[in-house]
Amino acid sequence: MAVASGGGHWVQLMRLKPAFEGLDVFYVSLDSTSATDVPECKYYTIRDASRKHKWGFFVAGAQLLRILLKERPRVVITTGSAPALISLILAKYLLRSKTIWIDSIANAEHLSTSGQQAGKFADIWLTQWPQLATQDDTTPKFWGAVL
Amino acid sequence: MIFVTIGSMFPFDRLIREMDHWAAKTGRNDVFAQIGSGSYLPQNMEYARKLSQTDFSGVMAKAELIVAHAGMGTVITAGQVGNPLVLLPRIQAWGEHTSDHQIATANWLRDKPGIFVADTDADLPSTIASALDYKDDGSVRFSDVADPAFTNQIRTAILDFMK
Repeated sequence: MAVASGGGHWVQLMRLKPAFEGLDVFYVSLDSTSATDVPECKYYTIRDASRKHKWGFFVAGAQLLRILLKERPRVVITTGSAPALISLILAKYLLRSKTIWIDSIANAEHLSTSGQQAGKFADIWLTQWPQLATQDDTTPKFWGAVL
Repeated sequence: MIFVTIGSMFPFDRLIREMDHWAAKTGRNDVFAQIGSGSYLPQNMEYARKLSQTDFSGVMAKAELIVAHAGMGTVITAGQVGNPLVLLPRIQAWGEHTSDHQIATANWLRDKPGIFVADTDADLPSTIASALDYKDDGSVRFSDVADPAFTNQIRTAILDFMK
């Protein structure tokens, strides 16, 4: 399962497509028209759950629960943000899925709030900025960037 | 055509208002704005609330210049089509975003070819003028996908998890 919020998070996820080539992947994001970016794959739309849309957390959580129980992904990968963190937590504890968090390249100086939280739940926890990564486990690792 | 876009998450009336005034002052009648859920409605430019992904890519590719918030969706899409870009970062203190990461984004992109940063509203007209003068060599700034070394490492990790 490849999941991302709309806008920049989705655009960054699309740049990672070669990583999923030939694998059985489905996508989840916020904008129904984004389905045109992945015509060959199954695509689900969920509600936004940013800090400005508190009610959205419950709706998005319920939608994600349905998707996860139906699809049962072995691996969940995301480029953020808040709704993606919910997916990651639900998938990890409900399905024991393996989880990969790639913090958005927009966060050059600090990790995002969701990205900081994701450290507790992600099997692989990445930042796209080398200066935000250290050798110990208190920070994400740096493997590269979408740009 | 000049395309003004503020992304898909939050409104950004400050940029839309400034660009509306700019269009009136300069007499440019080919400015088109995606205004999102903003409450300021442009008087001097055509606008849409939100374009579909396909229409958005089409307009981005056609635009002579893109004037936008400092969001990565816009930055990456503009780079993929290779059109010059003016960025005005959102300010958290003014309720324009949930953090000030757009200022950080604007700072690391500031000197990249084809990208022009306006730090304040007052800087917008001169920044747009520089961007319109910019002679693009027509090359795209980014390919469509990330560095293969990065995607390969992620792919290997996924395949390991699937074992």
